[in-house]
Amino acid sequence: MRLWSQIQSWMRAMAARTRMESDMDAELRFHIEAYAEDLERQGVAHEEAMRRAHIEFGGVERAKEECREARGVSFLETLLQDLRYGVRTLAKSPGFTTIAVLTLALGIGANTAIFNVVNATLLQPLPIREGSRLVVIWISNMGHGWSRIGPAGQDYLDWKEQSKSFDDLFMFEHGTGTVTAPGEPEQVAGLRVTTNFGDFFGIKPVLGRTFRLEEGAGRHNYAVLGYGYWQRKFAGDTTVVGRGMTLNGEQYTIIGVLPADFAALFPADLVVPFDREWIKRADSDLGVFGRLKPGGTLKLASGEMSVIAGRIANARPTRKGFGVVLVPLQDVRVEYLRPALLVLLGAVGFVLLISCANVGNLMLARSIARQREVSIRIALGAGRLRLIRQFLTESTILALLGGGVGALLALWSTHLLAILVPSRIPVPNAADKVTLPGIHMSGKAFALTIVVSLLTGIIFGLIPALQSLHCNVNETLKEGGRGFVSSLRGNSTRATLVIVESALAFVLVIGAGLMIKSFWHLLQANPGFRPDHLLTLRIKLPADAKDSQYREPRKQADAFQRFLSSVEGLPGIQSAAFTEIVPLSQDDMDMGYFVVKENPPLAPGEHLAADYRDITANYFATMGIPLIKGRIFSEQDNLDRPHVVVIDETLARRFFPNEDPIGKHLQVPDTTRPAREIVGVVGGVRDTGFDQQPRPTIYFPSLQSPDQTMSLVVRTSMPRGAILPAIKNAIWSVDKNQPVFDVKSMDEVIAGNVSAQRLAFLLLGVFAFLALALAAIGIYGVTSYLVSERTHEIGVRMALGAQPLDVSRLVLSHGAKLVGIGVFAGAVAALALTRVLTNLLFGVSASDPWTFVGVGLLLIVVAVVASYIPARRAMRVDPMVALRYE
Amino acid sequence: MDKQLELLQGTLDMLILKAASLGPLHGYGILLRIQQISKDRLEIQQGSLYPALYRLEHQGWITSAWGESENKRKAKYYQLTAAGKRRLHTETENWNRMADVIAGILGTKPEEV
Repeated sequence: MRLWSQIQSWMRAMAARTRMESDMDAELRFHIEAYAEDLERQGVAHEEAMRRAHIEFGGVERAKEECREARGVSFLETLLQDLRYGVRTLAKSPGFTTIAVLTLALGIGANTAIFNVVNATLLQPLPIREGSRLVVIWISNMGHGWSRIGPAGQDYLDWKEQSKSFDDLFMFEHGTGTVTAPGEPEQVAGLRVTTNFGDFFGIKPVLGRTFRLEEGAGRHNYAVLGYGYWQRKFAGDTTVVGRGMTLNGEQYTIIGVLPADFAALFPADLVVPFDREWIKRADSDLGVFGRLKPGGTLKLASGEMSVIAGRIANARPTRKGFGVVLVPLQDVRVEYLRPALLVLLGAVGFVLLISCANVGNLMLARSIARQREVSIRIALGAGRLRLIRQFLTESTILALLGGGVGALLALWSTHLLAILVPSRIPVPNAADKVTLPGIHMSGKAFALTIVVSLLTGIIFGLIPALQSLHCNVNETLKEGGRGFVSSLRGNSTRATLVIVESALAFVLVIGAGLMIKSFWHLLQANPGFRPDHLLTLRIKLPADAKDSQYREPRKQADAFQRFLSSVEGLPGIQSAAFTEIVPLSQDDMDMGYFVVKENPPLAPGEHLAADYRDITANYFATMGIPLIKGRIFSEQDNLDRPHVVVIDETLARRFFPNEDPIGKHLQVPDTTRPAREIVGVVGGVRDTGFDQQPRPTIYFPSLQSPDQTMSLVVRTSMPRGAILPAIKNAIWSVDKNQPVFDVKSMDEVIAGNVSAQRLAFLLLGVFAFLALALAAIGIYGVTSYLVSERTHEIGVRMALGAQPLDVSRLVLSHGAKLVGIGVFAGAVAALALTRVLTNLLFGVSASDPWTFVGVGLLLIVVAVVASYIPARRAMRVDPMVALRYE
Repeated sequence: MDKQLELLQGTLDMLILKAASLGPLHGYGILLRIQQISKDRLEIQQGSLYPALYRLEHQGWITSAWGESENKRKAKYYQLTAAGKRRLHTETENWNRMADVIAGILGTKPEEV
């Protein structure tokens, strides 16, 4: 309705305006004609009478303009007039308009796109009730370098009993389950939760219900379906509640379906409940969330939990040296991407500033070229405020055009970004992953685009508008439109803009340079194995089921051995092995204590810790991990033979600094079995991340320490599409009910591991390139203006004997000097700003001198190249022409 | 014909009000009437008449309406409003006082100081 009434008022104003205009025309025509008739009556010929009437009347247009002004002009009319005039002037110089609009579109579009990512990842609230009060609780043991590890079920029970900072505590465990009915056998992502699940998150199930608190007292085979799984497996069937399904060989009853948005928090297919006995049995790597009491702070809760941790350590010696770490869930979810995104947000801000400076510069150059026009208008009585309004209208039209094109660019690049930004991000050191919501163009981002466009329009429109205020009409007109009293001031403004621009560009290019160097280091970093041509997939034996053939550990080891020999026999497979955990995959964690049997006993409470890895004999060969000393495992290292281990060189160096570890024995705490003999030392592997150092690792032969879940690693030169069906068939030829999942090439695993750095590296690179290009345009603009302004001077110089080379040096040095100042200022700013990159950098210092020097030189080169075209024009100035022209 | 006098700044409005006070007139008629009363001794820029008319109308001292001219053509006629009459009255008074003062000053002889 409001829109309609606005349109009506517009139309009324337009109608009134046209009637007014035609009235005015008629009135003035009547005057002139009446006068002419009087003249004719005095005997003047008609033609002559009309001519004289016109002359004596004076300027009709001017009279009309004054009439309009006398009558008082509405705001709307001025706006329309300004708009029409603005559009006309912009259309008259399509080159300028195109460059300005594109420059702005790049700046605004890039900002909108990055804002879309930030909005989707950092600003989106959790899809749960009062998500801001949720904290993740880990245990830590800084003595072993474990900053965050999942607690045990007993920790959860103790915390729940003793803490008063929380409304409630919730525990969960990620896992996979094998569903064999209904439908084909498949591996699903599962979540086991305490029965306060529904209430803790305030879940409103789409169908049925979640668990009841009291159901935690005993075993209940109830399952709640994830929304996606419900759609995928049951095609959204609303009668699914009450039906049965076979999970890990046991019968479960479906009791409900989760809402769709819950997948953003837990991307699980199935949710099943813990019971009290199970909680007590669960000994590690669990996830615990707490809901802070209203008004409670993280600090108070942390303090209380530390006190409780001390109490627990006294009661349970295995918890000696452990602390508790509390982090808000919101922060945990984005901490992996946050540094990269904040850096990018800053970087696009810089790009926008540079494009504003550039357009400001263009506008300024134009306003100087338009001084004659402005002077004439002032001389004819145009008010200065009116002129400023005109300039602002023009720049706002430009900015809105730029914003429009920018929004299109953003729409398009947001799609690209949605692909580039990892959809699942690892949570560091927590063996957990978070699924990010989809990234798309949001209304918020669109509103932001418009606001940013208007602001930029006003900012860079004001510069030339204020410049024009200094315009001295008489001087300008007297000098034939060439001189401008403030042209010196205009020049210094333009020079400042170029300096600022090159300083900003310098900072951006430094950031990109550091990221490129760092990423190069990352990719060059030796992970300790050969990552090429490796394919990985996981297999989980359904050993939990009552009638499973794999319930005995020995049978599990046998099964993997049989899978392995079946796969190894395939053509095109160079080598294959099973491992408990694929390096860099962050799929899981396994670590523990050990004691060197030959060494004197440790002080009570003191522990040696290492990562544990169960592998098959061929693992080192398949991965390309070098044997340094001793031997690797063989298939004879089974349960019937003496227990052996292989250690990595990190452990050897740290715990056997001056002795030969071969033949020494390691005692691991969880068994009463005899100590295991160290038979070999292999190279270290960067297991947790490219940017992490290898950690002390103990390898166990899987035949002597079987697992239920293992990953197959295959070295093959065949493409994945060709070899994968063969591998699956080989496994199914051993057990036709065995699902395989998590199929990934090692390259994909690595890509997931460096996704934040890759994102920062790629986008910073793009932004730096934009910044450089924009700065080059800015330098080019200033230099060519300088040349055209100094044509006379150059002509004189050349007439007096200056060589073309001298002239070009004059021009080039001007551009280089501006950029030189910019580079210096940029270097100072960059030294302060690149520190925010520290988290993202690997193997490069944030103040890497080579990058600084290199980028400085690059900018100077860009400045020289950008000044080269105007310099050539200056060299070709013909002194005769230049002087005559003046 | 005597040499025409240039119009003093700000007096055109007053003359228009006076001319219009003698009866409704169109723009050209106002011009003619002023010239007639002044016996052609004032030089009036024809083009400047209309902005003044629009200004006076905008201020509410005169109103306009379309009517028919002597030679049967459509013309816009201006008429004094009540406010315009008051305005003309004060302007006339002011002008007379000002003219007295100025004349007094200019007529001063050295011995009178």
